[in-house]
Amino acid sequence: MSAYADFEKVLLPNIEKDETEWIDAYGHYEAAQKALEMEPDAIIGVIKDSGLRGRGGAGFPTGMKWSFLPKGVFPRYLAVNADESEPGTCKDRPLMEQRPHLLVEGIICALRAIQGEEAWIYIRGEYYKAAKVLNKAVQEAYDKGYLGDNAFGKGVRCHITVHRGAGAYICGEETALLTSLEGYRGYPKLKPPFPAVTGFYAKPTIINNVETIIDTGIILKRGAEWFKGMVHERTTGMRLYSVSGHVKKPGVYELPPTVTLKQLIYDVCGGIRGDRKLKFVIPGGSSVPWLKPDQIDIPLSHEGVAAAGSMLGSSAVMVMDETVPAPWALANLSHFYRHESCGQCTPCREGSAWMHKILQRICAGQGTMDDLETLKSIAGEGKPGSGMISGKSICALGDAAAWPVGSALIQFWDEFVDAVKKGAPIAPPRFWMADGEFVYDEAPVMAGAH
Amino acid sequence: MSAILAERHDEIEALAKRYPGRRSIMLPLLWMVQEKEGWVSQEAMAEVANVVGCTTAEVYEVVSFYTMFQQKPVGKYHIGLCDTLSCAICGAFEIQHYLHEKHGIEVGKVTGDGLFSLELVECIGACSVAPALLLNEDLHGNLTPKSLDALIGACKYGH
Ligand SMILES: Cc1cc2nc3c(=O)[nH]c(=O)nc-3n(C[C@H](O)[C@H](O)[C@H](O)COP(=O)(O)O)c2cc1C
Ligand code: SF4
Ligand code: FES
Repeated sequence: MSAYADFEKVLLPNIEKDETEWIDAYGHYEAAQKALEMEPDAIIGVIKDSGLRGRGGAGFPTGMKWSFLPKGVFPRYLAVNADESEPGTCKDRPLMEQRPHLLVEGIICALRAIQGEEAWIYIRGEYYKAAKVLNKAVQEAYDKGYLGDNAFGKGVRCHITVHRGAGAYICGEETALLTSLEGYRGYPKLKPPFPAVTGFYAKPTIINNVETIIDTGIILKRGAEWFKGMVHERTTGMRLYSVSGHVKKPGVYELPPTVTLKQLIYDVCGGIRGDRKLKFVIPGGSSVPWLKPDQIDIPLSHEGVAAAGSMLGSSAVMVMDETVPAPWALANLSHFYRHESCGQCTPCREGSAWMHKILQRICAGQGTMDDLETLKSIAGEGKPGSGMISGKSICALGDAAAWPVGSALIQFWDEFVDAVKKGAPIAPPRFWMADGEFVYDEAPVMAGAH
Repeated sequence: MSAILAERHDEIEALAKRYPGRRSIMLPLLWMVQEKEGWVSQEAMAEVANVVGCTTAEVYEVVSFYTMFQQKPVGKYHIGLCDTLSCAICGAFEIQHYLHEKHGIEVGKVTGDGLFSLELVECIGACSVAPALLLNEDLHGNLTPKSLDALIGACKYGH
């Protein structure tokens, strides 16, 4: 067995069973009880020492984020980001559906660390089942006395409310999440001030991803040294990789950051469906630059993926085989960003719409070389600050819309030029359907583009 | 109509206490309305405004921002089919065509019998079981034409 397979899975060891672990099977919340015995600063110290970095996308060090809270200002709030809407990402859903008490316990630990008494779990509206499971799990914790005005009989207030979103990717952005939680349209706010200083109802607020919060509880239970046992450069701990697209065994896999992208695709996921050729990989959710097959021998840590010119992001790996036309895939993603732009800033609203319109034109076989130049000037080079959107809008959705376009144009420039010169409609092969099943291996190209 | 929220008055007031400000009950109230009625009507928006303590225009502003709030009635079984990249490359459009050709279910329309409606939605967090859809509150992944027939059949003829 290769080294990556030797580590104990602590988040979703039985993911394929797809069962919910209720409170009696889960146990007595030892981490939470321990946390309530500790000084808040000591907890922050342990989390800092563990090297835990946010699992939501940006990879910001969690302990450091918590220490940005202004001294002596109360109340302080915690908002758990369960909006999981970055295309490709599907890890928080099984976490919440199967192990809700890991999250509830993690929240108690995090509340203690930040000296807060109230937490909200902001969960995307589409996650009906996860919201139901969480509500029941929270109620179980209240019934056991783990939550309430006198949690564990230790005189500590600890409350959790599950709050459902209603379909808006932008509400995963932390300031938009808070605006939405306050009952408004999910508009992001310019930072600074950061939410740790001015957040929910203008009070200091910490926002963390579901998996990040769960990790804090596990670290308190097992220790920072254990967490640092899974390490590549400055990326520590087991994490969930969501793998989708053209692999034989797509799924959510719990692995250390030393696993390489190549191992993930070819060993863990069994290689490419139909044993076709790999064309490109999006390694960290739809917002990050694309990687080509000669760039995948990299550890899936923040540093490993950055060295290859992309980002680990939400560790969602989308795999495309040779049948996927680059302009078509890009048009699909730009539709997403156009649709999800909240519309507050002109560069993002107009830029995302124009990029999509141009890509649609190219896919319809009506693109021109001028179109490619316009695309390039809007999107830049897939790097922070380049082009007309990145770094010029209120929130990072603008960057997220531009980076894939910029990087795809660089990686597949010849294919784009070719598409424009040929002037023929572009679509991937349709699936051949036989006897009610998809047949992938022999998929013939059928007439008609979508 | 005006009874949607009135009958849950105590629950709503208890919920409002769980937030630092009353305005936060906006989304929960809209969900209560949609759960009961299947969509959010003008009258319902006025009622929500009344309970939150804001104008109907402010409620409309919120309703129109969030894609899951329906502003007109949908089918008894509302389908949200994901067409974002991972689903798109694993057969989402074939599923869409199949729904149309075999079952007469079309994007943006309610079937004549009022049973089904279909909407294309962005990534629903089920990418590793693509192609995927939401049928009312339930997620279904690894769709094939065959599994779709079973799903639609179960809605039409009971389980
Ligand atoms: C457009 C946009 C969408 C985002 N969506 C999510 C999301 O769905 N879930 C999430 O945890 N973080 C998301 N983030 C990142 C959050 O803003 C924030 O950084 C994160 O929740 C912090 O938690 P962490 O430090 O634990 O990762 C998004 C950011 C942007 C700019
Ligand atoms: S960058 Fe886009 S999504 Fe973010 S605030 Fe501006 S318009 Fe809205
Ligand atoms: S792309 Fe369809 S569920 Fe994520």
